[in-house]
Amino acid sequence: MAQPRAAAQSQPATDDLDQEEKTPDTKLYEELGELARFIDTTMKTLSEFSAPVNASTEQLPQAQTHLLNLKTQTEQGTHRVMLEVEAIQDNHAHISTMLKEMTRALQQAKVSPEIIQQLHTLGQTLGQDDKRLLDIMTALSFQDLVAQSVNKLVTILDEVEHKLLQLVVVFGPYQKQAAKTDQSKASEMLKQLEATKNTSMDQDLADEILKQFGFN
Amino acid sequence: MPADPNMKILVVDDMSTMRRIVKNILKQLGFNNLEEAENGQEALTKLKADTYGFVVSDWNMPVMMGIDMLRAIRADESLKKIPVLMVTAEAQKENLMEAVQAGVSNYVVKPFTAETMQDKINKIFK
Repeated sequence: MAQPRAAAQSQPATDDLDQEEKTPDTKLYEELGELARFIDTTMKTLSEFSAPVNASTEQLPQAQTHLLNLKTQTEQGTHRVMLEVEAIQDNHAHISTMLKEMTRALQQAKVSPEIIQQLHTLGQTLGQDDKRLLDIMTALSFQDLVAQSVNKLVTILDEVEHKLLQLVVVFGPYQKQAAKTDQSKASEMLKQLEATKNTSMDQDLADEILKQFGFN
Repeated sequence: MPADPNMKILVVDDMSTMRRIVKNILKQLGFNNLEEAENGQEALTKLKADTYGFVVSDWNMPVMMGIDMLRAIRADESLKKIPVLMVTAEAQKENLMEAVQAGVSNYVVKPFTAETMQDKINKIFK
């Protein structure tokens, strides 16, 4: 980016003679003028980014909604799997009780020990499957980690939305060569943005800011 | 002191899936008197209203964090002896010392297995 002071120093030698003849007040006035023009150019350059900034700002709430939907969907899907696992666990518990009762009855009836052994093996297999079912339950804790990551992403997006809206407020009136009343409104909106900095932004405020600068 | 299978256990977590997982594990371990709370504040209200023998709590929760709930439990004369097992994510391992200083009974890092949970509970009640 060009420096105004450096630009002033690179003027031709004839200008140097003129500079020497000027009073300090005149020199200061000219330097301030150059500084004002530099700021003006910089503001115009930055305001060219308004359109992409606004487009991004408008899409951020959608991105947040998609992320929160992702969290809800994984939560619902996880509960659905858990419901099935719990149903199988309950069935296993019921079968296990019946197996014990059958074993006891068969022992009393003095049936072949081989049959009782088969029932015992059946119970062991059921126990191994119970272990697998518990492993499935604990493996579903991935959903909690997904939810935590989604929450962090939503917080980051919220912060980015704040920053982008601040840019919209600052450069919006400038780009449109707005009147002083608009600039005053921009200042008020900046205050509101600052007030919501540590909380989730009110959607109405975001919409109002975008609407004020012609983005619906 | 062996764990009483009939003691009332409070499972504290803001995520419904985690509460369900922890309750399922506890049920498989033989505990059937299980209650739940969504945050530290709700947990404290329940703990003061009834008699609980054990608390399993998440660390990171809205309204009141697990560590703040733990400090409140240890500061309350009627609750301070209740064993508290903290469950936390891998990224928060550095909080372990903070939990120990606050009086945690044991600590489980997510994602955990049923065996780990059982081992920690056994160590608390041995």
